[in-house]
Amino acid sequence: MEIPYTVKPRPDTGLYNAKLGIWLFLASEVMLFGALFSSYVLLRVGAVPGTWSMGLMDIMVGAGNTMVLIASSMFIVLAWAQLKQGNLAGYKKWKWATIACAVLFLVVKWSYEWPTKFKHYDIWLSSTVELHKKLEQGYHLVAEKHARESHQEGEDAGSHGGLAKHYVEEEIFTKRFFKEPSGDSHKAFDVAWEQGTLALSGHINSYEEAQINVRISGWKADAGVSEVDAEKTLARFGAGDPAKLRKQGGLLLEKTDYDTAKRVEYALGQAGFTLALGVAGYTEKTKEEEGAAWVWRTKRVAEDIGGQPRVRSIIVSLDHSHHQKIKVETKHIKRLSAFEPKHSTFFGIYYTITGLHAAHVFGGIIVMLYNMLPIGLSMWHKDRERFTNRIETFGLFWHFVDLVWIFLFPILYIL
Amino acid sequence: MSDKAEVTQVQVQEAVGVHHDEHEEHPQHGFWRTYIFSTDHKMIGMQYGFCGLAFLFFGFCLIAMMRWSMAYDGEPIPFVGPILEALLGSGVAPGGVMQPELYNVFGAMHGTIMVFMGIVPAAFAAFGNYVVPLQIGAVDMAFPRVNMASFWAFFFGCVVMTVSFFIPGGAAQAGWTSYSPLATVIPTDGQTYWLIGMVLLITSSLLGAVNFLATIINMRAPGMTWLRLPFFVWAQFITAFLLLLAFPPLEAAGILQLMDRVLETSFFLPTGLVVGGQDVDVSGGGSPLLWQHLFWFLAHPEVYVLILPGMGIVAEIIANNTRKPIWGYKFLVGSVVVLGFIAFIVWAHHMYMTGMGTVISAFFQTTTLLISIPSVIILTCLLISLWGGSIRFNTPMLFALAFLPMFGIGGLTGLPLGFNFSDVALHDSYYVIAHFHYVVAPGTIFAIFAGVYYWFPKMTGRKMSEFWGKVHFWLSLIFMNLIFMPMFAQGMAGMSRRMSDGGATYSLANPDNADVTVGAFSDTIMGMNVSISAAAWAMLVAQVPFIINLFRSVKYGEKIESDNPWQATTLEWETPTPPPHGNFIKEIKVYRDPYEYSVPGAKKDFSPQAQPAK
Repeated sequence: MEIPYTVKPRPDTGLYNAKLGIWLFLASEVMLFGALFSSYVLLRVGAVPGTWSMGLMDIMVGAGNTMVLIASSMFIVLAWAQLKQGNLAGYKKWKWATIACAVLFLVVKWSYEWPTKFKHYDIWLSSTVELHKKLEQGYHLVAEKHARESHQEGEDAGSHGGLAKHYVEEEIFTKRFFKEPSGDSHKAFDVAWEQGTLALSGHINSYEEAQINVRISGWKADAGVSEVDAEKTLARFGAGDPAKLRKQGGLLLEKTDYDTAKRVEYALGQAGFTLALGVAGYTEKTKEEEGAAWVWRTKRVAEDIGGQPRVRSIIVSLDHSHHQKIKVETKHIKRLSAFEPKHSTFFGIYYTITGLHAAHVFGGIIVMLYNMLPIGLSMWHKDRERFTNRIETFGLFWHFVDLVWIFLFPILYIL
Repeated sequence: MSDKAEVTQVQVQEAVGVHHDEHEEHPQHGFWRTYIFSTDHKMIGMQYGFCGLAFLFFGFCLIAMMRWSMAYDGEPIPFVGPILEALLGSGVAPGGVMQPELYNVFGAMHGTIMVFMGIVPAAFAAFGNYVVPLQIGAVDMAFPRVNMASFWAFFFGCVVMTVSFFIPGGAAQAGWTSYSPLATVIPTDGQTYWLIGMVLLITSSLLGAVNFLATIINMRAPGMTWLRLPFFVWAQFITAFLLLLAFPPLEAAGILQLMDRVLETSFFLPTGLVVGGQDVDVSGGGSPLLWQHLFWFLAHPEVYVLILPGMGIVAEIIANNTRKPIWGYKFLVGSVVVLGFIAFIVWAHHMYMTGMGTVISAFFQTTTLLISIPSVIILTCLLISLWGGSIRFNTPMLFALAFLPMFGIGGLTGLPLGFNFSDVALHDSYYVIAHFHYVVAPGTIFAIFAGVYYWFPKMTGRKMSEFWGKVHFWLSLIFMNLIFMPMFAQGMAGMSRRMSDGGATYSLANPDNADVTVGAFSDTIMGMNVSISAAAWAMLVAQVPFIINLFRSVKYGEKIESDNPWQATTLEWETPTPPPHGNFIKEIKVYRDPYEYSVPGAKKDFSPQAQPAK
């Protein structure tokens, strides 16, 4: 049994099966990305003015990646053209060029664009007064300097008291959310300033984390662990006199770090102990000391340990403040988030659409590599026309992926 | 084996031997390649059919248990109660009593299973796979391996959905529509499983749709022009387009809700969301309405995905058993194409109550009423086709005939829901349940039964028992109406569709339990809960003859004497029985329209499409 029209086109439709199939598949892809684009439009139209962070995108990087993809689309056509001429070596040359472009695109995205955003935080405070204080503290100096420079250029610097506010509006808020100043941007800023919905934006340099005292407060014999085993477990965590600790309770670990305390709490909990964690003090840690990246979450930062927060304060180096560092106390933090999907609907849709697009690029790379390996190339040696068709169909898919990006780039980076 | 059947087998072997060259796969596959990982459209069709029927039964069992909760709230379910408690834990079914959480789980999964794992695979994928390539004279689908991938994506989607019943907290509970924010903020993992399962099921449907379209466009036998396609193929063609273009937005919605649940984004969560008295730690700024738009953009065309294959099956059977051409074949084709287009612009009639605005409501009300025109044309053509026919009342024909008035009731009762002024009163009530169940239960499911009885001889070489088929039909018809007809009354009395106690608490909350008081239900209305439930359980029992008949007839059914036991005209009856890999043993060429029955001057009362015109 042989399926007709796998290689030669059917005369009345003018298409071979795979080409027809890929066009139908692309139609469904149009609907998939179309739905996401529509969602983008609806979310953007419905967004409160001053929450759509489109000004944060690096247009040059996006433009560069656009050029890379357009080039790759051209290379895949050249690869196909070489096959049409029966030149496998030429095919391989252009195909490697296509793959290189695709990989470059993903490298830029996954090792530069996204990770830099993941390290950048917005911190919203629960108190408007506190917010104004922090902004004044963070931007006072740079605003003064900026005002002096502007003044030399003959502009009105405004009153001294509103310098930081003025600076935040012009240099940060308007550029990030509106690009150009306008009546709308002014109104949105006033609302954000008055209601305290502005965020402190910057990198978290260091923080004060709790040092924890772990205290044994009791032991249950009915937990299914024998006395000897329970004491062995205690000894494992450095108890001087396990038997006494088990019977009478007392301090097990002093000023230990959070991870150790939690590990001990879990292990001893399994052995039938009840523990009380308490904060003995706070110690300042910097990112370098921490080693592994600390993913900041509102709940984690504010986690309650015996009545005190896990983190007392964080030290933030604010954007556009000439590395001015300010200390923000946890009790004032309402919410914090890196520029990650949950930050806002803008970043949510940004990561979703570009992520889905990147998944298509990644899938394309897998298919391209398959068609470079002996297993994929064996079709060339069996049926040249069929292999050429296969590359043509892939090329259609690849053009589509490119086209999606050509729509994505303006809506996410420019408009 | 009869002589005839032996001859056929011999012919197959010869034909296979002649047409095979060395590089082709050998016809003798092992068990796994033949029955499990098959690329043959007929085997894949039967796999889909088996899974689809099994899930239809499973979904029915879920609602049978829910009906107990509605009729006898707080009492342990007989027989299955202890099983529920043992399987799902005493948290949701203590002492065999269904808790409201479990009712919600079963309700959400009943809808999901029936729509995505029951009817779509049974009506679209199973019959489409088995019959479409045969009817257009193709050797197989255009992409046999994609076809297999489609089935396995479906299968794993079903596995994920089924497994989700047994995870802590149980399966999804937010209804088959999964409206956000509810679906997002429910703390159990069932919804996440639901979304992953849906992404797999959608992927399966997309692969299937591409394959069907490519097959119908590119694989038609010589002479099989567009207007010679049997109506069933046309119905499948439009259905495949609906799936291809309507499903991706739901996939997008599923991805966004998955992001909301897993990565804590706020696509569907509004600013200032409070759950259980607590502010939710999310950015807000999303739109709950966006989910509904994306969901219904699929889910309304999905209604036509459910009904069109059924209409196609019914058309085949009516033409065959009235022994005359379908009346208005071109009207049917035109209507189904128009219906396919309009299906994309009616979705927001499910959302009149969301406050999206009167202008939008007016637009969708207009398109909704427009779409009833092609539907009525289709139904009318099928009805007029009966006129003057010498009708053979065999089991498939009985089901096909019952389809017409049942679907008619379902369609006509939809009109008050299409007008937004009357929908305001009926929205989310049992009236809606009755309406769409009339469309899909005695509508599509009867068509599926008709199709099973009709094509069973082609699949196995044996007929199903006519007697038990008729028993199955009459019982199903009676109980189907006893289940759904009273629901119209309950709905118009104002009973909400989401109450696990059948509205008892709601009704008792009003001290003056008079017949006409708004908010309280009369004893008649409340009493219907019991009668509907009894009818549902009787319906369950009425399926036993079908199940036994189906399995028994594979081995013991009456053997058919010819490859064309129904004296039909379409191409699937030109194959040996059952059709071998590659389907046809002679060259197929099409000379005629699909339904040339009782052609004046012809020797027999049917002139097959492959029979050359004189």
